Amino acid sequence: METDIAPDTELTLAQKEADLAAWLVARAPVAVGFSGGVDSTYLAVTARLRLGSDGVLAIIGRSPSYPAAQWAAARQVARSFDVPVLELDTAELDDPRYAANPSNRCYFCKTELWSKLVPVAHARGFPTVADGTNADDLGDWRPGAQAAREHGVASPLAELGFSKQDIRDASRRLDLPTWQQPSSPCLSSRLPYGIEVTPARLKQVERAEEALRALGIAGDLRVRYHEELARVELGPAELTRWLEPGRFATLRTALVDAGFERVALDLRGFRSGSLNVLHGVGQ
Amino acid sequence: MRNASALAAAIAELGVHCSVEARGALALLLPVSSSFEALQSPDTRRTVVALARQHGFTHVAIELPSDRRSAGRDADAPLLRD
Repeated sequence: METDIAPDTELTLAQKEADLAAWLVARAPVAVGFSGGVDSTYLAVTARLRLGSDGVLAIIGRSPSYPAAQWAAARQVARSFDVPVLELDTAELDDPRYAANPSNRCYFCKTELWSKLVPVAHARGFPTVADGTNADDLGDWRPGAQAAREHGVASPLAELGFSKQDIRDASRRLDLPTWQQPSSPCLSSRLPYGIEVTPARLKQVERAEEALRALGIAGDLRVRYHEELARVELGPAELTRWLEPGRFATLRTALVDAGFERVALDLRGFRSGSLNVLHGVGQ
Repeated sequence: MRNASALAAAIAELGVHCSVEARGALALLLPVSSSFEALQSPDTRRTVVALARQHGFTHVAIELPSDRRSAGRDADAPLLRD
């Protein structure tokens, strides 16, 4: 699929990329909180290209809320682009404030992540720790950003005005496999606020989404957990496809096998932060 | 504010016959199997979403019935549930 980038956008993005290079050089070496998602992959690979392998360390925080498929993809992309990786286990589910699943759940998760990651980075000689927050994120309800600030974590992509589309365009030029990857927030985002986050529920959601990917569903996909009910959000084309009378039974069976008793397709389809809207959070 | 019965009646006028289960701000449609064909149209889906919003719901989803349940529903009159 070819897409043209308008000249003004090209110029702006080129300037932002130059600004990012300067930012990295001025603060090297840089540790990056790395999930294998679109944003942190772009930041980690750019740092590797600008600073060399001694100038960057991508740090993955592993926990039950981090999908295994994404973990594998993160390791693969780091290998492909020769980005040094360190993996740490985080234990946000052991924090009852997180497990209770309040609307500021992400604050407790990121507090756990950065409280482990930042000291390790500093001890290894990386004075700068950065994350992949982008400029579009600043308008969303993101309590995790407060935890980043409290731990001195920088967000150069947001600071330098990179939108999500900027990052996708720049990633495409670098041949990063993530350039058109759907956004991939943690599995806990599938549980409505107030529903306790448990390893079993996260695993159930993960199984369900893996089952739908195995059916060939591409692009944006979320399985939202509503106790016995799975509410599935798909992109418009996939939604039309799976509403076909001869087809939806296959989808239903996949999710029943994953542990849900009832299955529903959301008629609006995928929307990021859907459960925030359902609960009136950040409105 | 949220009115599942009125929503079911409004949706029926689009040819989508279903009962509506209100789960907080989520309207869960329990359709007869023939309703799925109408909902394959993006325009119809947009209209249903707009109607749900007018009736106080932020989300609307259609339950995928098991073969047994969908067969039963086709033969039954629509049921309104809150």
